[in-house]
Amino acid sequence: MKQLFLCALLLPALCLSQDFLDEDYLYLKRHEYIKVDMNKKTFTLEKNVYESAKYQTAKKMYFANESIYYDSFSVIEDIEAYTYHPETDKTTKVDYIETKRAFDNGIFYSDQESKNFIFPAVRKGAITNLRYNEIIKDPHFMGLFRFGTFVPTKEAKLTVEFPKHVTVGYIEFNTESITVDLKKTTKGKKNIYTWSINDIAGFQAEDDTEDPLHYLPHIIVYIKSYEHKGKTYNVLNDVNDLYKWYTTLVERIDSKNLNKVYKIAESLTKDLSTKHDKAEAIFNWVQDNITYVAFEDGLGGFIPRGAASVCEKRYGDCKDMANLLFEMLNHVDIEAYRTWIGTRNRPYSYYEVPTPMVDNHMIAAAVIEKDTIFLDATDRYVPYGMPSGFTQTKEALIGIDANNFKIVKVPLQEPNTSVTKVNSAIRLENGSIKVDEQRLLSGYEKVNMVSDYTYKKADKTEEEFLNTTLTLGNNKTKYSNIKKTHFDNSRTPLELSYTLHIDNYSKTIGKKTFINLNIDKTLSKSKIDNINSRKYSKKIDYKFEKKYTTSFTVPDGYKVNAIPKDFAFEHPNYSFQINYTQDGATIIQHKTIKINTLSIQKSEFESWNTFIKSLIKAYKKSIIIEQIS
Amino acid sequence: MIKQITLLALLVVTSITFAQHYKTYDWESQPRLHELSEAEKKSSSVRILQYHIVEYATAASNGKLKIFETTHNITRVNDDKGIDRHNTVYIPMYGVNNVVDIKARTLNSEGKITELNKDNIKEVKNVETYGDFKIFAIEGVEKGSEIEVLYTVEKTYDRHGSQTIQSDFPIRKAEFLFITGKLNENIKAYRTINQFETTSVNGKNAKVLKLNAVPAMIKEEYATPNANKIEVVYQCFPKEQNITQDMFWNNVVTNVGSQLFPEKYPEIVKTDVTAIVKDLNAPTRFQIVNLVDDYIKTNFTVIKNNNPDLSNLEYILTNRTASEFGILKVYAHYLKALEIEYEVVLTANRFQFKFDPDFFNPNALRDFLIYIPQEKKYIAPGQIEYRLGEAPFNILGNYGVFISKNLEYYFSKIIQNDKNYSRTMRSSNISFGKDLEYVTLEQHHEYTGFWSVTNRAVLNLSTEQALKQFEDYLTGSGIEDKVILSYETKNTEMLQQTYNLPFIVNCKLQSEALLEDAGDSYIFQIGKVIGTQSELYQETDRLNPIEMTYPNQYDYTLTINIPEGYEAEGLESINIKKNYIAVNGTEIAKFESKYEQNGNQIIITIQEFYKTHEFDLHRYEEFRTVINAASDFNKAAILIKPKG
Repeated sequence: MKQLFLCALLLPALCLSQDFLDEDYLYLKRHEYIKVDMNKKTFTLEKNVYESAKYQTAKKMYFANESIYYDSFSVIEDIEAYTYHPETDKTTKVDYIETKRAFDNGIFYSDQESKNFIFPAVRKGAITNLRYNEIIKDPHFMGLFRFGTFVPTKEAKLTVEFPKHVTVGYIEFNTESITVDLKKTTKGKKNIYTWSINDIAGFQAEDDTEDPLHYLPHIIVYIKSYEHKGKTYNVLNDVNDLYKWYTTLVERIDSKNLNKVYKIAESLTKDLSTKHDKAEAIFNWVQDNITYVAFEDGLGGFIPRGAASVCEKRYGDCKDMANLLFEMLNHVDIEAYRTWIGTRNRPYSYYEVPTPMVDNHMIAAAVIEKDTIFLDATDRYVPYGMPSGFTQTKEALIGIDANNFKIVKVPLQEPNTSVTKVNSAIRLENGSIKVDEQRLLSGYEKVNMVSDYTYKKADKTEEEFLNTTLTLGNNKTKYSNIKKTHFDNSRTPLELSYTLHIDNYSKTIGKKTFINLNIDKTLSKSKIDNINSRKYSKKIDYKFEKKYTTSFTVPDGYKVNAIPKDFAFEHPNYSFQINYTQDGATIIQHKTIKINTLSIQKSEFESWNTFIKSLIKAYKKSIIIEQIS
Repeated sequence: MIKQITLLALLVVTSITFAQHYKTYDWESQPRLHELSEAEKKSSSVRILQYHIVEYATAASNGKLKIFETTHNITRVNDDKGIDRHNTVYIPMYGVNNVVDIKARTLNSEGKITELNKDNIKEVKNVETYGDFKIFAIEGVEKGSEIEVLYTVEKTYDRHGSQTIQSDFPIRKAEFLFITGKLNENIKAYRTINQFETTSVNGKNAKVLKLNAVPAMIKEEYATPNANKIEVVYQCFPKEQNITQDMFWNNVVTNVGSQLFPEKYPEIVKTDVTAIVKDLNAPTRFQIVNLVDDYIKTNFTVIKNNNPDLSNLEYILTNRTASEFGILKVYAHYLKALEIEYEVVLTANRFQFKFDPDFFNPNALRDFLIYIPQEKKYIAPGQIEYRLGEAPFNILGNYGVFISKNLEYYFSKIIQNDKNYSRTMRSSNISFGKDLEYVTLEQHHEYTGFWSVTNRAVLNLSTEQALKQFEDYLTGSGIEDKVILSYETKNTEMLQQTYNLPFIVNCKLQSEALLEDAGDSYIFQIGKVIGTQSELYQETDRLNPIEMTYPNQYDYTLTINIPEGYEAEGLESINIKKNYIAVNGTEIAKFESKYEQNGNQIIITIQEFYKTHEFDLHRYEEFRTVINAASDFNKAAILIKPKG
């Protein structure tokens, strides 16, 4: 029964071969054995890792390159690795291991290192074996175990051995469709929990989907508490303990020499009367003046650097900016708090996962007239009042004081907060068309445009950037009179205007000329491919709305021959309406497109594709004008 | 007493005379903001000053040679992108014995100076394959700030060195000062018409190259921008040595060659080659060498790390793991065991370095090939996707030094042997569904040469996610609502024992979007059938010479079956012809599309080719016209209207 259930859900991969015979490379075994020991009130944690993998072809020989990553919270010991050739019964050992660092685009300096080696003599049929110990220095960082990875696994097993006076918590993710076997046994003074699963298919990434943590089956195991001399001591029993631990880190923030910081806060707000205006001024200042540079160095990866230092250096990471905002806002009497949060990449809740795995980000939260405003200055262009897009819907852990916190959900931003309004006036001139267009972008629509304009423009000219970003008309569209105002992080919409000159766009045959008013065919490439084999939902970054008003001036000597009929697609999560009206010599098209969801579930794929297909169909309709003879 | 003073004075003078220049070189005690021109204001960042000093010196203590390298930059940052580009500094420690000094400061638009706290300089050991680094983030940067960085490192003596002068941002003033005193030196600047001036620094012979207004090297298409930056390459060696370029080349040929033309080979090599060829029946030389290449690429792994054993043949044959140089030994021994004649080629990736036979630069000798003269074909040991054939396209057009068995060498440009190596042939049979609701396309594609090499590599080495994107690409990327009814690929294995066997795709597609309604007629977007063609823009002056990925040719036949009761109009937009005629009168690039009508069939033939991959920069506009003709065709549409 178990097999059948598995088969139905993982049909495409498993039907090919239950034994993964078609796979180039697979894990025969992936075992982790975590040993928790206590000496009085101190934990020692050791993780024994064992991996065995088989090369069924010579195509994926790059898997022979092995890297074991670790940071200053753990130590890697006793690496033993070798390649085994079943056909000759010969073994070749790894005899060279190198410790390396890497530069990361997102983190400027990190204490993460890796042990690197290559499995020798890997070829078709080879089996590699790896065993090592990881000493975990801090009981808060037990990490997670993946039952499934991107490579198929014949046998995955996690064992945790811990003293009976210790309580261990665990929570599984994405295991709804598979059966993980859990055995609880005891050995002397120890409890032993073992989770195991066999024949789990490889997970393949898909386009536009959530972070792999949303679909890879995995488990988080953590230490809840222990008993000592009849008393119970909590480690990470629930979010209260996580917060308690966070406050011990917050206590270590350097909060000296804040005079300069206070002076800036004062000068920014001295002429402003409302708290909102003051908070906005401070938020914008931090966005504008503190550049994101991240250092992850031991607990320095968790403790914000002092506001005075961040302000002086003019750079910092998320927690540094959050703490600076906290200091500046409170100084001008705005109630503000340091706030922990997991971005949309983390599929966890504070109520379920009371470990540092739950979050990966820090922001500030201000409370003004009972409104909670989430302030994420790492997003350089997000307007005051809106949370950063990647924190929407997520739980924020707002640190009130040493003993109190609040968990508040970051509100989902509705489509009417991220709007693109497009006004276009099209006219026909000597066979080509000219368009005067103005775009007003607000919310995340603005954030994305300003950010792309600033960073992706790269070496391109503005014209080439706009042409390849907006893809209006055809690939010969020429831009002139490009103007942009409110190109910043303010709440005022970004205004972008230009004149387009598009050759070969309208088509004249005989006396009739065909002109398609949909010069912007937004979303036409958004069909979800392979909907039968695709497994995971499509991720949408934010809800938005696009509103077009397009007018076409019928040239002298022409009459209107045909106007497309109105078109619409209605669905609560995605919809569009297009209608045409004629007013004398002017044809006006109104078009509204609304996306009202952050995710398209598998069950909705068909409906979404119908939406896109209807939109494409509507985009195909041209107006026809005819020369009056 | 007097005597002593004189001596002291003399000593002082001597030490001043021979003092290294970096000791007296410093930044301005009071920095000031520089005025920017209108053009400079528009750039995300501008380097106001970029000064490099390379000084070869003899240590007083032991007479050993060493190098002092000083770098001094002043950079104005105008926007967020400019800040992000310059606010982190990475100083490579490769070859560095001693960091003499590192300092940095920021001058903001209000004149406030923030100096770098040296405690914030971090050391990062053994980064990937690049060695150690000192890194730091610049403090106090805002929009409109000027960032100034000045550091000097002492390096172990190296005969050879190079410095890239151009960057991806504009440089107002760049100087390269090369101080060698009485040592022998050679220095050459690339891609600038400016000349070195001879000068003297602290009484030492020196040369200086001064450049003004160095433009940003931009990433243009059909170009090798990284290899085209202004660069200085130099050599410096003791006075008593008088080394010519020939001697350098001879030396490297002897060094490399002596290891790669073995007289004998170990037993295991014999066992391997016997096993490799055992199933071949009357094999050709091509088939044998091709199998050897495939065997090595599927049984050995090439890796970059610091393990010295990776170039030791015995270790390599046991562990089946080698460095980029070590793997050449494997080829050499296998080929020797099979009595196959070969040459070893030292060359460079043309996207990174332009190989210069006239000036020895070991830095640029990073790629190795093995040439089989009797086959006129190459093995690319470091590139897993290639099997015996033409030289990889990233080498094509660069020079290489070819070393033969007797350790004789010659320079040659690496060119394609078969001019028609890379082709794409495509035939599409296009028909319309009931009531012209949709279009059906039945396609047959054949890819040869580099096209097939790349296609096979993607199919064999990619993840499933990439394979899905690849399927979309192979079935025509321009049709947004495309439904793939069937799809198959043939001849997909990387090992093909028939030389240049085409990679084949057969597919059947359906689309509604290709047909637009126009009253009782339909506009058929025939242009989109060939896939999205990008337009080649050029709004600024072209910097880079034109270099395509490789010469290639497309031959398409599109057969449109007009449904009964309908006829086609507006076929003129299909006829396009643009070409590029070389000085010798041959047509070396062309795009031509034309149609003929045969009953209810319209047959469109398209031919596009580029016979060479290098085109004259001065004739960029003509080249662009040919490239853009394909995107002109993208817009071709015909009207299908009821008869009568």
